[in-house]
Amino acid sequence: MTASNNNKNSCVTDSNKVSFTFDGKKYFGFDGDTIASALLRNNIKIIGRSFKYHRPRGIYTCGIEEPNALVQVLSESNEPNTRATVKKIYSGINVLSQNRWPSLKNDFGYVNNLLSPLFSAGFYYKTFMGPKGFWKNIYEPLIRRTAGLGKPPKEFRSKSIHNHHNVDIVIVGAGLAGLLAASKFIDSEYDVILLEQDNMLGGSLNSSQKIKTIENLETREWLKKIENLIKKSKNIKIFKNTLATSYNQTNHIIALEDNSVGKPLASHKPELILHKIRTKHTILSNGHIERLISFRNNDLPGVMLAGSFEKYIFRYGVIPETEPIIFTNNSSTFSLLKSLIDLGCKPKAYIDVRDESLIDKKTKNILETNKIPFYFSSEVEGCDGSQMLETISIRNKEMQIKKIKGSMLCISGGINPDVHLFTQSKGLIKWDEKYLTFRPETAFQNTITIGSANGNFNFNKIIEEINEKLSLFKLKELKIDLESDCPEDLNIVELWETISEKKSFWSKSFIDIQNDVTTKDLRQAVTEGFDRIEHLKRFTTNSMGTDQGKISSINSLGIVSKILKKNISEVGTTIYRPPYAPLSFSAIAGRSTYEFYDPTRKTSIHSWHVKNRAIFEDVGQWKRPWYFKKNNKENMYEAVQRESKELRNAAGILDGSTLGKIEIKGKDALEFVNLIYTNAFTKMKPMTARYALMLGEDGMIKDDGIVCKINDQHFIVTTTTGGAAKVLSDMEEYAQTEWPHLNVYLNSITEQFSTFNISGPKSRAIMRKVFSNIDFSNEKFPFMSFKKVNYLDTQVRILRASFTGELGYEVYISPKYGLELWEKFFRYGENLGLIPYGTETMHLLRAEKGYIVVGQDTDGTVTPLDLNLNWMIGKNKKDFIGKRSLSRSDTSRKGRKQLVGILAVDKSKIIEEGQHVVEKSSIPAKIKFPIKYLGHITSSYHSPTLNYYVAMAMIEGGNELIGKKFYVTQNKSLENINVEIVKPIFLDPENKRLLS
Amino acid sequence: MREIFSISGIDIFQRDFNQIMIRGNEHDQLNQIVNKEISLNLPNKNLQVINNDNILIAKHSFDQWNLIYLKDQYHKDALNLVSNLNSNDQILASDYSHGQVYFDISGEKKNYYLNKLTHFDLRLKKFPVNTMAQTLIARIDCSIYHLKERYIVTCNKSFEDYFIQRLTDSINL
Repeated sequence: MTASNNNKNSCVTDSNKVSFTFDGKKYFGFDGDTIASALLRNNIKIIGRSFKYHRPRGIYTCGIEEPNALVQVLSESNEPNTRATVKKIYSGINVLSQNRWPSLKNDFGYVNNLLSPLFSAGFYYKTFMGPKGFWKNIYEPLIRRTAGLGKPPKEFRSKSIHNHHNVDIVIVGAGLAGLLAASKFIDSEYDVILLEQDNMLGGSLNSSQKIKTIENLETREWLKKIENLIKKSKNIKIFKNTLATSYNQTNHIIALEDNSVGKPLASHKPELILHKIRTKHTILSNGHIERLISFRNNDLPGVMLAGSFEKYIFRYGVIPETEPIIFTNNSSTFSLLKSLIDLGCKPKAYIDVRDESLIDKKTKNILETNKIPFYFSSEVEGCDGSQMLETISIRNKEMQIKKIKGSMLCISGGINPDVHLFTQSKGLIKWDEKYLTFRPETAFQNTITIGSANGNFNFNKIIEEINEKLSLFKLKELKIDLESDCPEDLNIVELWETISEKKSFWSKSFIDIQNDVTTKDLRQAVTEGFDRIEHLKRFTTNSMGTDQGKISSINSLGIVSKILKKNISEVGTTIYRPPYAPLSFSAIAGRSTYEFYDPTRKTSIHSWHVKNRAIFEDVGQWKRPWYFKKNNKENMYEAVQRESKELRNAAGILDGSTLGKIEIKGKDALEFVNLIYTNAFTKMKPMTARYALMLGEDGMIKDDGIVCKINDQHFIVTTTTGGAAKVLSDMEEYAQTEWPHLNVYLNSITEQFSTFNISGPKSRAIMRKVFSNIDFSNEKFPFMSFKKVNYLDTQVRILRASFTGELGYEVYISPKYGLELWEKFFRYGENLGLIPYGTETMHLLRAEKGYIVVGQDTDGTVTPLDLNLNWMIGKNKKDFIGKRSLSRSDTSRKGRKQLVGILAVDKSKIIEEGQHVVEKSSIPAKIKFPIKYLGHITSSYHSPTLNYYVAMAMIEGGNELIGKKFYVTQNKSLENINVEIVKPIFLDPENKRLLS
Repeated sequence: MREIFSISGIDIFQRDFNQIMIRGNEHDQLNQIVNKEISLNLPNKNLQVINNDNILIAKHSFDQWNLIYLKDQYHKDALNLVSNLNSNDQILASDYSHGQVYFDISGEKKNYYLNKLTHFDLRLKKFPVNTMAQTLIARIDCSIYHLKERYIVTCNKSFEDYFIQRLTDSINL
């Protein structure tokens, strides 16, 4: 027999035909069809090949739990492992079956099935042990080539955007229970999100006729009414096509919304929204999942879960087979039986493992009235067929086998509450002896489970349950009448597997259909000692597929409990981990935000830099000019050499706005600064400045900067660009926790000032032109002093300091006038040779002078003593951070690495940063013995002023080695460069330029 | 005032405000001095905002207040207030004008759009009028002040371009 359409009462109508392609052949379905329902409509029952044995596989379910029907969607960048039971078709969708070659019908990989007796559980672990080297070179490459389902996508697409929500209630699942719960919250004070994975509300109300009327309305009429009411309610948001995938700590739920259901992907918009929801309470009404029964060849195409078969009829309007055979161990199949009769179809047989006394009257009546052959106290022994189901063997309680022909077998092994999300939330579940399933018991978070998700399979009790469980919200009582034809309660007997009569190597009773795990594998695992369920899971790969064994994991527990002769509750369960269903990495990662990936910070002069061909470097989040290209041909080396030379000859200006600035004030500010920095500030005069070092408690240099003293109660300090936030945070911590007795307050003022560093012999002349009312003479404005100057309607602070070794000034101004002042400098300074320079030139200039950069010449293991900065330590100070550590035996010992200068004996040689300082003139091609390493080059630049490389290094006992010769390694040669150890100052050691 | 975005449900304007960050002990003279200067008392509850048509003061932490001039104001006047406050050794007032940027965000969908950029709970019941918060918006440290039917969002000036681009981008998504 063939499939037919249910034109009577389905959610999908035949009004809109849609064409699609499967394995290169064009078919038609209807608008709203999934790939699976459309294929069933076209009588296509083989969808793919199985993972390990390449056995033909069909459609097993009608939803997210599908283990078999995974397809590759070629029209969506070759998206693999798409569940055909979920993915909706649209005109032009191109779908390919997976895991077969050269075709679905004739798959070369089927040889695995023929060899299957070899591939039992643990095959890989036991087989690929040797010989040595085979794993890396033969086994692993071969297994990798053959392993996996589907092929990776051809390209990465930006698929999702992320959105945040904060609500009081999240209701997961808009089936009957979810909708009734939501209806209680209509126009209440609670903010509610209702999540539904389907594109319509209703859940099982759409996929069966179990409920006839609600509030005296046909179920579909009631659904329309309730959806309208919820939509009108301002406090409830409905997210359709949205699957709750993770239930994390503190009621944090991740849900994925698919915006492209039933339509081609838009090229310009992401098709997914990842909702990150924080809620106070979560109501799980996400229903149940039907489970399979293991029997011989229970994987043949044509075997389908009974509830899914019924869902295809009503949700998608396709009757996959008009004369199916039903096999069950419970009363839930009554609904399918009745529906088929109502639609004029007659099941070929009804097989029920239950004793006749347990079968309800309604079922018996239907079977007898419609003369449907029925077999009580019987079971399906197995199925046979070439590629598809053809014959079913039924065994009665007398152990006699009867064979009947049939092309579809609808099975039901019971119902599991969908406890995945509940267990993800760390809720505890308990075995229910009545319904033979695990159901939620103790919630760990504010989680409420209702309906079949809670193990309540009785429609008549659902109103009472919801009223009771939601009573804490103090909402109106629900008073709704439900009318149902179905048996009131679930009646079920235990049946996990049936015993196979036919002992064939190629007949298998599957427990995990996706991973090709058989019941025999479970037995073997237990025999081999893997009797803990978590071990067994990993040994057999049972329930480790993308479906996480949704329809079979409880069965495997049942079978294992029988083997171990234990109660199922003693065996326990494996852990359900997020996500509930697979979601792509790109959905988690979000869309490509390109330039937005990391926040960027720009100074107030940024636009000027761009106009003047600055090349930027990232310093933290800041964009700092690295160097300025004079023309397009000029490279970085040439630009830096030029900038350095011109600055030393005339003047240069650097945008130093990124430097951290902190304002410190309070009656104990002086004491605070004395404690924070190594230097002594007590005798320092107001309106002067000092280069200062900050140590960690371990005595190592943490940061440096300039401390400007306005008076004993008021300081402004600078920090390195990268260290600004940390230094402020550390200062605040010390102020609040270590020295709370000090009256001191701190504010970050980094952003409040644009800062320029003007350096070079002409800098004074330029400053005089820009600030004509200020006396910049040495006498009136000595080195390391500062002044406040009125400028327009603001104030400018000018500090005489330099990081280049030249006469220099730092100018601090409100960013409002930053660009205006910067341009003014060029208006007045260009004729005097003023040029802009970048950070690379700054590094070169300071290296010529032997000034260190924290983080480049230091690495967290360097004390001030190692840098010969003893003069910066206030020896008479009672205390400062790191003081005690400076007198530790290790920090004060001789032979520590110390900062020295390095010059090549042959001045034409290039010394590279990071290279090692060694005693040997060359490195052997093969190093047999360790080569003594003295230290490494921390900074190295070609000095255009000196016309050779100047370098600094941290080497062991460096101070004692001045004047000695060693070698520096090279990146591309085994020959080392002969160098001389010198003092780390290469230019103007008398500071004539600085103090000019 | 510069219009950044104005569509149905959300209006974003960039404003030129002046701002002073004040630190001190409220039990000392701080409250009196501030009251004398601007005729408003310092809020005493953390994250509380007190405002009139011209000025907003918010308590950021136990010893930190933020004062924002909500109307055009000469920068020099702000500097004068800074100077007056700083005349007391036990108070630190820093001029934050022009080092921050200010976005005036209003419209019934403001929460919807902002929640594309922040996880912060902007619902009225959790973030009432006349309160403020410091949180990450578009991965940037921001202060957000809830005034009647609008938010004033401030962040460091250096993030200005990035923040505007992110706001625009999130609305266009």
